[in-house]
Amino acid sequence: MEQELVEYIAKNLVNAPEQVKVSRRLTSSSVIVELRVAQQDMGRIIGKNGRVANAIRALLRVAAGDQHRDKRVILDID
Amino acid sequence: MEPRRSIEATGESIQEAIDKGLAALGAAPNEVIVEVLEEPSRGVFGIGARPARVRLQVLITRPPAPPPAPPAPPPAPTAQSEKTERKPREHSEHKEPREQKARAERRERRAERPPRQERAPRPPADELLEDHEDDEALPLTDAGPDVDEAELDDDVKVAREVLMQLLQKMSVRAQISVRRVETTRESGRENEAAPWLLNVTGHELNPLIGRRGETLAALQYVTRLISSRQLQHRANIIVDVDGYKSRRSQLLRGLALRMAEQAVQQKRTVALEPMPPHERRIIHLTLRDHAQVSTRSVGEGEGRKVTIVPK
Repeated sequence: MEQELVEYIAKNLVNAPEQVKVSRRLTSSSVIVELRVAQQDMGRIIGKNGRVANAIRALLRVAAGDQHRDKRVILDID
Repeated sequence: MEPRRSIEATGESIQEAIDKGLAALGAAPNEVIVEVLEEPSRGVFGIGARPARVRLQVLITRPPAPPPAPPAPPPAPTAQSEKTERKPREHSEHKEPREQKARAERRERRAERPPRQERAPRPPADELLEDHEDDEALPLTDAGPDVDEAELDDDVKVAREVLMQLLQKMSVRAQISVRRVETTRESGRENEAAPWLLNVTGHELNPLIGRRGETLAALQYVTRLISSRQLQHRANIIVDVDGYKSRRSQLLRGLALRMAEQAVQQKRTVALEPMPPHERRIIHLTLRDHAQVSTRSVGEGEGRKVTIVPK
């Protein structure tokens, strides 16, 4: 579910939705969601002072929810 | 290195807590700023009763002679307060001295009202994506009546769909109910159309609210961002979860009035606990027309809080 959430948000904020790529990895201590967007869309995903990225992280935390309660949730953007 | 002394004290009433704190500090009432951390609550049948908790911060008004009494160790908290009330506001205890000093310096310069009027008129286009932070500040009274599906406009339809998608992808099972907000004169925006209120209801939605409503703020922000982009104009909507914002807003207005009363009676500045911007705004707006006090925010970031100053 984590990927779907990030993918939905990202695709609806960028100008080049076809270049949105999301993957997810699990380690023993974290859930890592990697988000790639077109270079010119970086600003839209990060936002002023990282506000958009931080909001996505907050929601991601909810999405990771019960299953990964004990893990850190990390959103990597590049 | 710590430039100011502060302690916490508890008591059955706020006044009692303040008196104890003053005694522990050996300070006079006019030498401290009182921050009310928690109002006393009686609980139900004595269960869950909590003492009043205040923090006294000594203003540096005296020459820097060694303090009369060694900085009192925090008064042994009563067993009760220790047990029942530790977690919710730890954040206010972790201020690093350095940060605090910087804050104190900035304090002089920054005594502004909430920033809504100061914003430059925003250009269109991508700026649509920027949120009006202060929109969240609408002192929500009870929302208006339920509305018929036929009365819904594009703003709310789009936003509801976006919100639904977000919730679904977060694996949150919930319903969304839609109403018009009844704006009050206090909102300071009586000339604008009332926004739509999308209230998410369901079971165990606390994670969706988050600490101090932070997750809810994120949810609203993202919902607005995506909706505004689809609509090509700013979506005039507010997102709430289980009526959290309405409740909080009522609570804050009550708090503002009580604390104003106290500031007047005791002729001294009362500081509230740190709050996020939209909550501070509710305090400012509530006391905007108060004859005997004025309000200002002090501190930075997470620690920024409203102080109520007798006129």
